Amino acid sequence: MARRHLIIGGGTAGMNAIRTIREEESERSTITLVSAEKPYSRMVLPYYLDRSIAESHVFTATARVLADWGVTAQLGKRVTALDTAANRCTLDDGTAIEYDDCLIATGSSPVRAPVPGADGPGVHSFWTLEQCRGVLAQIKPGSHVVMVGAGFIAFTILNSILALGAKLTIVEIAPRILPRMIDDTGAGLVQSWLEKHGVTVRTGAKLARIDDAKGRQRLKMAAGGDIVADVVIMATGIRTNLEWLKASGVKINQGIVVDDHLRSSAPNVYAAGDVAEGRDLISQANAVHAIEPTAQEHGRVVGANMAGKDVRYRGSLIINIVEVCHLDVASFGAWDDAKAENASGVKADRPAYRKLLWRGDRLTGAIILGPSSDIWTTNDVGMLKGLVQSGVSLGPWKAHLKKNPFDVKPAFIATKTTSSLLPETILGRPSKAPGESPVAV
Amino acid sequence: MRVLKIHPEKCTGCLRCELACSYMQTGDYQPAKSVIRVSPFEGHTSYAPYTCTQCAEGWCMTACPVGAITISAVGAKDVVDDRCVGCKLCTIACPYGTMFYDPATRKAFKCNLCGGAPACADACPTAAITYEDVETADWLGDFARERTARVLAEAR
Repeated sequence: MARRHLIIGGGTAGMNAIRTIREEESERSTITLVSAEKPYSRMVLPYYLDRSIAESHVFTATARVLADWGVTAQLGKRVTALDTAANRCTLDDGTAIEYDDCLIATGSSPVRAPVPGADGPGVHSFWTLEQCRGVLAQIKPGSHVVMVGAGFIAFTILNSILALGAKLTIVEIAPRILPRMIDDTGAGLVQSWLEKHGVTVRTGAKLARIDDAKGRQRLKMAAGGDIVADVVIMATGIRTNLEWLKASGVKINQGIVVDDHLRSSAPNVYAAGDVAEGRDLISQANAVHAIEPTAQEHGRVVGANMAGKDVRYRGSLIINIVEVCHLDVASFGAWDDAKAENASGVKADRPAYRKLLWRGDRLTGAIILGPSSDIWTTNDVGMLKGLVQSGVSLGPWKAHLKKNPFDVKPAFIATKTTSSLLPETILGRPSKAPGESPVAV
Repeated sequence: MRVLKIHPEKCTGCLRCELACSYMQTGDYQPAKSVIRVSPFEGHTSYAPYTCTQCAEGWCMTACPVGAITISAVGAKDVVDDRCVGCKLCTIACPYGTMFYDPATRKAFKCNLCGGAPACADACPTAAITYEDVETADWLGDFARERTARVLAEAR
């Protein structure tokens, strides 16, 4: 059994792996963590941005917690090379670390639009804690914030920007907002909702360059109509952090190709989270998901396998939820599957929208949108996830849902979805609580 | 572990469980804030309460990015208010639809078995909700399958 574990990356995947190793191992092993940053959760940065939590709340493991877990932490350092034949990695300060097995969980970095001025002062990314601090320092009540990009990451901080009293303009090159999360109908409803709440949205708008305008930023648009901003946030996508691994011989496609135990092509090397190209639950094909829930499940499965267990991963389900101005927007699985049968329903006045997608009589994807004050929206979000995750045969309920896409609960209960979900666990055993003090105070 | 066992055939739809639950969880007698939800079947002639099964995976708990959902002394998955930031990941991770979110407090909430004295079971006049030391189960599936035949016939 592996005695020396090396975890590269202190994000969600890496930290879940560490905790699971400690939960599962029969003999105490050594764990070394190499992480460019102190471990924190990106998911909660929007709540630090709107000052509803203190900065200390974002950390997922303090030095004391890492010590409690018996982790040797190499923080502020990066791995520059991996020698999979010698089971050794090299850090940017020259340190060499030998391992019996290793996890690559180096995550992603933000990418800026390739236009002149995109790297200028006053233009920010919002991905790391450091970048969050940068944005927080710049936004004042009345500031005009221009968000370039209308994807999931941009939308997670939309409420925070408004809560800080800023005026917000969103510029998106695609013909609709949230292009990789919801369809045209859903995007239209969300856009109208945002406009009703004072947000300016420009879709199909190509940015040409950003010029300094006496301390403010002038965004030159390709089709004209310049925008002057106090703060520009570029949320134009992410790319996986894999450059350092090019010479290692580890097989990389869109991400590191992994098998059903999250093993890469190299012996004793696992990959998890954004960098891993693992099985998608619905398509059963390999894909890079780059979402928090996948990183969490990957991390736990790898941790168990590193600890000597034999845990096969069923595959991950794409799930996304974001709330904007008290409107919940969520999608699951293969929501954009053009070949799937589908049904939808709109209540434009609330607004509320459902789209359900089937292959045969199994739900394979869904889009749901509704006011976050509607209990049934929140409950249906979960039940739709359960229907997609379990893949229960809907039988006659398919026809019912096609006619009544808002009436999810009876279909969920009467198809005995609970029965098929209850035995399911990721690690083949009940999950353990996060523990007495695994999270920083 | 003791769990909430639902006996749907005994439910009269009186909603006392929802009132008791909302009062215990939030201090308000307001069914909208209850984490046990009574559903109608067969054109409002049958009813059954539905709530968290305290499942083994604890999808809400494992999904939480800040460890804000833990296992209480009585074995319930429980939200720690001070840690919850309101990111809603638990609401989408729970495949049973039994996570809740309060827009006023910006916190998630759920059934925590009232710390071992569930108000819903206590309030139920027909013992349709009992608190017992049994394996958690799909209490409503068979009942709902039988009592939804008419709805399905209409859909055809």
